[in-house]
Amino acid sequence: MTSFMPLTTVFPGLVWTMAALALVQASRRASLWRVGAAAPVAWLHGLARLPRRYLVDVHHVVARDPHASRMHAVVAGGLLAASLLTALAILPPLAGSRAYWLLVTLAFAVTAAGSLLVGARRYPVKQKRLSAGRFQILPVLLLAYAVGGTLTALLLALGAGGIALPFALLAAAGGLGLAFEVRQGPMRHAVAGALHLAAHPRPGRFEGRPDTALQPLDLDAPRLGAAMPADFTWNRLLSYDACVSCGRCETACPAFAAGQPLNPKRLIQDLVAGLNPAEPPYAGTSYPGGRAAEGPRGPLARLIGPDARIHPDTLWSCTTCRACVEECPMMIEHVDAVVSLRRYQTLERGALPEKAIGPVTELRQAGDPGGRPLAARTDFAAGLDLPLMADRGQAQAEVDVLLWLGEGAYDLRYGRTLRALVRLLRRANVDFAVLGAEERDTGDLARRLGDEATFQALARENIATLARYRFARIVTGDPHALHALRNEYPAFGGHYTVVHHTALLLELIRAGQLSPQRLPDLSVTYHDPCYLARYNGETEAPRAVLDAIGLSRVEMARSGKRAMCCGGGGGAPVSDVPGERRIPDLRMAQATETGAGIVAVACPSCTAMLEGVTDRKADVRDVAELLLQAVEAGR
Amino acid sequence: MKIAVLLSAGRHPVSSTAVLPRLEAQAIRIATRLGAAFGVPDEAAAPFGLHAGPDAAAVADALGQGLGRLEHIALSEGADPVPALAARLAATAPDLILAGRRGQGGGESGIVPYALAAALDRPLIADVVAVAPGDEAGTLRLDQSLGRGALRRVVVRGPVLATVHPDAPAPLAYAFGRARRGTIVSLGPTADPGAGPVIPVEERPYRRRPKVVKGAPAGGSAAERLKAATGESGAASRGRLLVDPDPEEAAREILAYLRRIGVVAPPASHPHP
Repeated sequence: MTSFMPLTTVFPGLVWTMAALALVQASRRASLWRVGAAAPVAWLHGLARLPRRYLVDVHHVVARDPHASRMHAVVAGGLLAASLLTALAILPPLAGSRAYWLLVTLAFAVTAAGSLLVGARRYPVKQKRLSAGRFQILPVLLLAYAVGGTLTALLLALGAGGIALPFALLAAAGGLGLAFEVRQGPMRHAVAGALHLAAHPRPGRFEGRPDTALQPLDLDAPRLGAAMPADFTWNRLLSYDACVSCGRCETACPAFAAGQPLNPKRLIQDLVAGLNPAEPPYAGTSYPGGRAAEGPRGPLARLIGPDARIHPDTLWSCTTCRACVEECPMMIEHVDAVVSLRRYQTLERGALPEKAIGPVTELRQAGDPGGRPLAARTDFAAGLDLPLMADRGQAQAEVDVLLWLGEGAYDLRYGRTLRALVRLLRRANVDFAVLGAEERDTGDLARRLGDEATFQALARENIATLARYRFARIVTGDPHALHALRNEYPAFGGHYTVVHHTALLLELIRAGQLSPQRLPDLSVTYHDPCYLARYNGETEAPRAVLDAIGLSRVEMARSGKRAMCCGGGGGAPVSDVPGERRIPDLRMAQATETGAGIVAVACPSCTAMLEGVTDRKADVRDVAELLLQAVEAGR
Repeated sequence: MKIAVLLSAGRHPVSSTAVLPRLEAQAIRIATRLGAAFGVPDEAAAPFGLHAGPDAAAVADALGQGLGRLEHIALSEGADPVPALAARLAATAPDLILAGRRGQGGGESGIVPYALAAALDRPLIADVVAVAPGDEAGTLRLDQSLGRGALRRVVVRGPVLATVHPDAPAPLAYAFGRARRGTIVSLGPTADPGAGPVIPVEERPYRRRPKVVKGAPAGGSAAERLKAATGESGAASRGRLLVDPDPEEAAREILAYLRRIGVVAPPASHPHP
């Protein structure tokens, strides 16, 4: 072979062939994405920011598992470097340089070391969260390419290229195998992942904004929500293909932990398999409950149904807590997928879970999921004499704080929290008022359950109400209301400064308007509400308030933006999909592990869910209640 | 099988916003289920809604509850809807007409179904919770609620009018997309039939009232009233009281009781070995 074409040409040629094969495989895959709906993508901006998104944002997530991070740096860095260097050796001056081949040898050796790290995760025993199937041959292919490449390059560096042919063939087997896997094997994540980072449907995530608001649905669209793979936009289809089946989402998912029939990894893989009839079988952990239905495949196949790929119970188990999104190293937006699918079920088919129909109907007809009179929202404050916005009149100066009470005001337990908050505001001489009977539900429940029409109607009514009053900012104790008002109402023309009550209380303490005593005898662990921590990135203010009253504070294993959900979001309590355990029980057990006597909460849903745990070892107290206790201790 | 559902412009009992009354939403669920049981050959034969009043928008929600088509007879405010409805129902001749048992709106009296039954000379089956095809062709099997969970099964032949009881299956979810796809057929104004019967009513805000217990003693001690309320003087007070029986005897007693009331079949004469 060396007689008519030197190995120094054949070997780089192999890499060029690999690149060509990968390109062919990727374009075969891309033809599937083209069935998706159109989406505006800022390609130039995305591609320019790609390295930063990869090295900063993706790394930030991957590095939570240091082994995975090191493994990926070595194997991906080595693979790219070795392949690029070898490809460049097609240039005669480089091909003739022994020193250059020594450099190539080094790069391949690094790849080989990385391949061993990849293998160590899967052999002899695969880590539980990883998928098997085609992923199991990945380390073998990598090792073949890396070892073959190392030896070939080494022999070329030593000038003994004549005997390198068998090793070059080994490298070819591994390398072409890897390139082949770009279409529907593990290597797809590299190509789809890179494109996904450039064409990400939520580019704000990389610009330091939380970018967590659900995107408004055009209610005049011919089809509302997603019924089949082709209903997703093309860059969403691309994003699902980026899934590398690492299973981090499944370890984070509260519904999965509770044995409800949801596994975010399987859900994304079902969307991938629904799109591609030739997809190899799923080889990871399935939905709890062991459902085996396969259902039809293809871009026009129905995705949801008792006989389809995804059971409706899977869809309604999601608490929209975003734990999976937070953990996903490929930056996939699982919750958006769930809500798109729910929108079709709810808006087009009216196929809400039986128990959720009542609350959503009442929300639509009465502006409150319990169908309670709006005027009764302030009943919790009997004797507190809440100032009403309507009594302030329009001519007067603006109110500093509009206190948004939320649905929790109807709840007897949460009413205690709101009373504590109102008393704190009074003590601090804050100028505040409530809407009273004019406040409607923000529509959060309807929106998470896919009823976008009801959400938009409520949003418009609330925005019209708020437009009649002058206030500096809205303060609320309900992170769900906060998220809707702060992040989701702007799309409908409502722009407000919205502050969570814990942030306001911290501000009042720092300004000296509240002077709490210290309560050092109490030990407390703080449970982060998903809609405050993950959706809005606010984890510090509540902790600072707790520290200001000198409690001994311990953290749960999962806290901050990686906290576990209480099970109260996304309409999960009203959908009530049966599982083996209850999510709040799991979370309460985690809180008990810390040994703290009090679980501090900052959300009416968390309060209700955690209070509902039987045989609690710890008390559930809102941050405002604890602060009031500290303030009153000084009297 | 042609099914018509009478729709009224209702108000939400708490918020008083214009809504489809819950009973009529339940009637739609019964109608669509029955329509599916018979099989729907084409769009025209599917269950449809009928409303006579000033504005069709008041009942447009019914489209989202599962009806594909609404017929609207435009009437001036306060006009008597019965003649117009009777004329339209006589023309379309549905096999089954469903209505709520009670109005949920401003000036409604709840007698429209009775007036229509009289005008159409049809039987009226009140307080229905389920309707299914009867065993014989052309018959309908209706389950009538007698209150407190008791049911009476009625099999009728021929066109019938039925009112729906709140114990019927809960309404289906409102689907915005379905409402968007549905059609409202405007039948145009008919000759003004004149104002409906004026019934003196007084409107007051809704207030929860204590439940009236049937047969409760007006006076008596608290224990007696509790006994009356929990039904211990009624059906539950009959039967035998066994204190700490042994399990076999208790099981035998329960089985005997279940056989007596017909829940469990009598023992087979030749039990299997």
